[in-house]
Amino acid sequence: MTLSPLTSMLSGTMMASSDIPAATIAPEMAWLGWALALPAISALVCTLMALGKVKGKLPGWLTVASLGTCFVLIFKAYQSMPEGPVVIPLAEWMSFSWGPTDFHSLQAALELYIDRLTIFWMLFVTGLGTLIALYATEYMEHDVKAGYARFFAGVSIFLFAMTALVMGGNLLLLYLGWEGVGLASYMLIGYFFTRPSAVAAAKKAFIVNRIGDLGLALGIFLTWRCYGTIEYSELFQVTANAPREGPWEESLIPYLLMLGAFGKSAQGPLYVWLPDAMEGPTPVSALIHAATMVTAGVFLIARCYPLFLLQPDALTVVAWIGGLTAFWAATIGMAQYDMKRVWAYSTISQLGYMFLGLGLGTTFGACFHTFTHAFFKACLFLTAGAVMHGFAGQLDIRRLSGLSRVPGFRMVSWFALLGGLWLAAFPFSAAFFSKDEILVAGVGSDRADFQFLGWLGLLTAGLTAYYTFRVWFRAFAGPVHFEPGDEVHGDDHGHDVAHDHGDGHGHAPAAAHAHHHGEFHPHGPRWAMKFAIAIIGIGAVLAGYPAYESMFLHKENWVQWMISGSTAVGGAGVVEHVAAEGASHGHQVLGMSAHAATSLAGSIFGIGGILIALYLHLIRRSAADSLRRAIQATPIIGWIPNAAEHKWYVDEIYHAVFRVPLWVTGHVLHFIDKHILDAGVVDGIGASPSLVGRVFRPLYGGVLQSYAVTMAGGVGLILAWLAYTWLRGGF
Amino acid sequence: MTIAAPITLASTMADRVGLLWPELLLLAAAMVVALMGLSKDRTIRGAVGPVSILAVLASGLLALFTGGADAAAAAGVPFPALAQWLKPMVALIAAGLMAVQGGFVDQALEAAIGRNAAAFNPLRAIRGEFHAFALFSIAGVMLLTTATDLIWIFLALELVSLPTYVMVAIGRGDRPGLEAAVKYFFLGAMATAIMLMGFALLYGATGSLQLDLIQNAFGAQAATGGIALLGVGGLMLASVGLFFKITAVPMHFYAPDVYEGAPLPVTAFLSFIPKVAGFVGLILVLGTAGLTAGELPRPIIALLWMAAILTMSLGNMGALLQRSMKRTMAYSSIAHSGYMLVALAAGTTDALDALLFYLFAYGVTTVATFGGLAVIQRAGGDADRFEDLAGLRRTHPWATAMIVLGALSFTGIPPLLGFFGKFWILTSAFEAGQIALCVFLVVNSLVSARYYLRFMATPVVAEPDSNATPTERNPSLAPVLASVAFGLALLVLPCFTGSIFGWVQRATDPAMGAAASAPAAAQSADSR
Repeated sequence: MTLSPLTSMLSGTMMASSDIPAATIAPEMAWLGWALALPAISALVCTLMALGKVKGKLPGWLTVASLGTCFVLIFKAYQSMPEGPVVIPLAEWMSFSWGPTDFHSLQAALELYIDRLTIFWMLFVTGLGTLIALYATEYMEHDVKAGYARFFAGVSIFLFAMTALVMGGNLLLLYLGWEGVGLASYMLIGYFFTRPSAVAAAKKAFIVNRIGDLGLALGIFLTWRCYGTIEYSELFQVTANAPREGPWEESLIPYLLMLGAFGKSAQGPLYVWLPDAMEGPTPVSALIHAATMVTAGVFLIARCYPLFLLQPDALTVVAWIGGLTAFWAATIGMAQYDMKRVWAYSTISQLGYMFLGLGLGTTFGACFHTFTHAFFKACLFLTAGAVMHGFAGQLDIRRLSGLSRVPGFRMVSWFALLGGLWLAAFPFSAAFFSKDEILVAGVGSDRADFQFLGWLGLLTAGLTAYYTFRVWFRAFAGPVHFEPGDEVHGDDHGHDVAHDHGDGHGHAPAAAHAHHHGEFHPHGPRWAMKFAIAIIGIGAVLAGYPAYESMFLHKENWVQWMISGSTAVGGAGVVEHVAAEGASHGHQVLGMSAHAATSLAGSIFGIGGILIALYLHLIRRSAADSLRRAIQATPIIGWIPNAAEHKWYVDEIYHAVFRVPLWVTGHVLHFIDKHILDAGVVDGIGASPSLVGRVFRPLYGGVLQSYAVTMAGGVGLILAWLAYTWLRGGF
Repeated sequence: MTIAAPITLASTMADRVGLLWPELLLLAAAMVVALMGLSKDRTIRGAVGPVSILAVLASGLLALFTGGADAAAAAGVPFPALAQWLKPMVALIAAGLMAVQGGFVDQALEAAIGRNAAAFNPLRAIRGEFHAFALFSIAGVMLLTTATDLIWIFLALELVSLPTYVMVAIGRGDRPGLEAAVKYFFLGAMATAIMLMGFALLYGATGSLQLDLIQNAFGAQAATGGIALLGVGGLMLASVGLFFKITAVPMHFYAPDVYEGAPLPVTAFLSFIPKVAGFVGLILVLGTAGLTAGELPRPIIALLWMAAILTMSLGNMGALLQRSMKRTMAYSSIAHSGYMLVALAAGTTDALDALLFYLFAYGVTTVATFGGLAVIQRAGGDADRFEDLAGLRRTHPWATAMIVLGALSFTGIPPLLGFFGKFWILTSAFEAGQIALCVFLVVNSLVSARYYLRFMATPVVAEPDSNATPTERNPSLAPVLASVAFGLALLVLPCFTGSIFGWVQRATDPAMGAAASAPAAAQSADSR
């Protein structure tokens, strides 16, 4: 394993993607195909178990085992990773050909495209997948008799699809995985299918994603149309030689791909599905809707970065959408009371940072932030899940307080604090460095709009720190006080099962404690959940190691090394490209280097946000309420708190602008179809043959002779026409 | 002018017999099952169906290993490798169609014997004959694929058709079946007459009945001012006669009545086997005039063009108005012939490949759909109203799933096999510049979704009418098994489209068997 020389990436005005080496074919690495096969097998077996109504935790352990093996395989691939990209053919798949050139054939084999970016992504996808599945074996235990196997079948399908998405060797496999993760997400959001809100949320996620997926599909069509291939190994060689100003269809490609990415990663106008997706069981929220699936959009853009570099304006759009989404989601997150919803908005916001990074040209920053975010956000969700599990579904931060002093929740609270500090980008935490990488690319840019986005990102960091610690100080600190939930969050236990806890007392039945606070005994998580939380928390700490290493030991950042030589590396080229135009790290901001200024400002915003939260939500909680009342009483800005709590009424606006007109159109068309087309035209015409038949059909069907005459007439017509054309002068 | 060039007879006879092992096997099997059907032993009579299916599958396997392209080329077969694709493909799908027929012949009689309510009477039992006729018909299609002259084509086509007339009549032996058979027979005879008239004109125009010699003659005429009127007229009449077999306009009128009158499993058989025969006949006859080189006379292209558009459109419009499922399927099969005519009109090798693949996709879908529909019946007849499907989801979940898959595949929804068939025809027609045909194909596919949706929605959504007499369950499991096997194939085979396409492309590759045909051509040139 040799380090690719850093200098190759810093060599000034490097052209986009020209440094992506040609892929080598490595059939001997076909064992990596098991990473694709194992989750598929596990999904199949879990489905059979669900159909066979298997009772017990076997599906859970099966899934954990298969995902764990996947992780081991990926780790093995990491250790034996070849220098350049590698294509591993597994099986023949699509292969059409209708002419001599590339544009007359469509090839999409079942093959893997392995470069460092692939391995990097798969490492945290399978690693976190394993740990969260382990967590879920305990979290979902109350459903052992109902949907346990179905749940793990969904998780396995998700992992299979995610593997296809990340490791697939062509855009068609990526699309397969893309739709597969969408399907798994739909199944798992709607896991509690008896709850109308869960069903609605699942449908919302699915439908909103369709809009993005349409963009992705069209993008893939156009990619094929413009470059004649959808196989990465060929595509990036073609684009490396493509002229910078291609035909107009070519300029649409990045915008269409971007639309797909925005749908899956809940960006821009398509973010609305993600908060509702929290209706799913918490491990699903942690795995799919925080750590892995939602980063598929980031992966798509990183993978197809050479296509984006051909259209620099597209990257500016990505930057703007990302930056604005980060800010917008943070403002909503400040006013929510449901812990999981706050984390959901923070996910949207953090994804916005990643897109900002991609747009600003620092794919390294985006990938690094994806990496750190995956850990700390999974940690936050898993701690929220532990609270939900222990307090009968309660997640309202107005009804929970001082959990760090409740027996069994001490560890959960401290890991929630860890996740919170990381989310708030507390100085010298992992996320501090990764976010810094993104923001410095904006603040230190020469372009005014990028500078604006950089400072907006810094402001957002302050808001993030505030809303994160608003939750922590409310729920985990302060005097002990809690009300159990009303079990509407059905992913908690059926209380008819009395189970024994580590502390010895059995669980009281539902009726006994749901409305009697005195008798409610919250139960803390047991080993599987604690283990998963601890490992992921430690992972969050270690995720900062690459930054410490590069800072103190002056080594190359591991993440940077992991994306070097991949398709995303073109981004490094662009940063340096921008640098060559006079921007970047050497640029002076506020009298110091851009890096120092960003770090300092980030620290100030972050700590400031935390201190405000400390005052308003721990030291003088009444001050928060009076502040809110004061704002509400002020004439011009009085509407803001309510509007923020109602998510700026975006759902209502979408409802009025899109859903109502579509609903009305649908009903009008239905009316026309039913009462005019069907009743009048179709039935009318349909009735006429039988009317005619009554006169002309003495036998069962039509008359033989008339058919014969008609056919002969047809032949006669044809011959007459032939004779006519011949007489007119031949053919 | 000699009728056939005096090729040395001894060597070609051996070559030709070597090409015909699958047919010989089928004919032998037909004799065996006809006798088995007369056995007093109930188990032997019950084995008629399985033995027929095994014989068909065995003939398909035999076709894979015998009669290579070289031998075919040496025997003067115009597309030497065509049989390599068509014979196994037809055998596979015919086996499925035979499974759909499982146990429906003599159903009431056998049930009565099983209850000891009746004695076995060889004069009334028809199961053996029925299966023998089916095997004859399948053998006819296989014979056609290696035809070298017009007489062969004619005889093979009759071997395909005549048994099907009987199958329609005796399948249940009821009044609708008999009436359908009479119509089918007379109209079929008329179509054959038209086709023979065409063959006669072809002989008159070229002085030969042998396909390769006709091709040479046409080539010579084309080089000196175009194919003569007599030849064009011959091609045209032969094509129109063959249109009957593929239910294309204007020879399609019989199809709805015959398909409706025939028992459901026979309808399935009719909608595939004669159709393959018709298309192979068209390929062979039009192949003499430069089908794949895009050199067809303009009136023939115009005929194919008009027939394609009219067949697609009339088929789909007709299907929209039906209440009977079999009638709907009849119109649907007309429409599918229209799609395949698009490929023929495009007139490139690629389009021909697309057509050959489409036949396969269409056959697999047909078995999946009809097998699913055959799980229910009604008082000794078919359950043929759409309402009969209501509530099928609960009583026959597997059959319902396969009907839905089949209807989706007929519509051409990815990733099912039917999509790839349509996609290939579309792309090949597009590349051949037939944009108008492409537009018609797409619009027609869209229209067809409406009636295919009824096949999907009724079993899944509709509730059975509580006043109606409930349908009965088909006692035989064979149809649903065939349906599931072929329905899953609709899902699985698309993963192997690369290999299948390669297979099809080899089937029409003129280079196949070229090594053998070169000396043969030299030989015939010498002897001339």
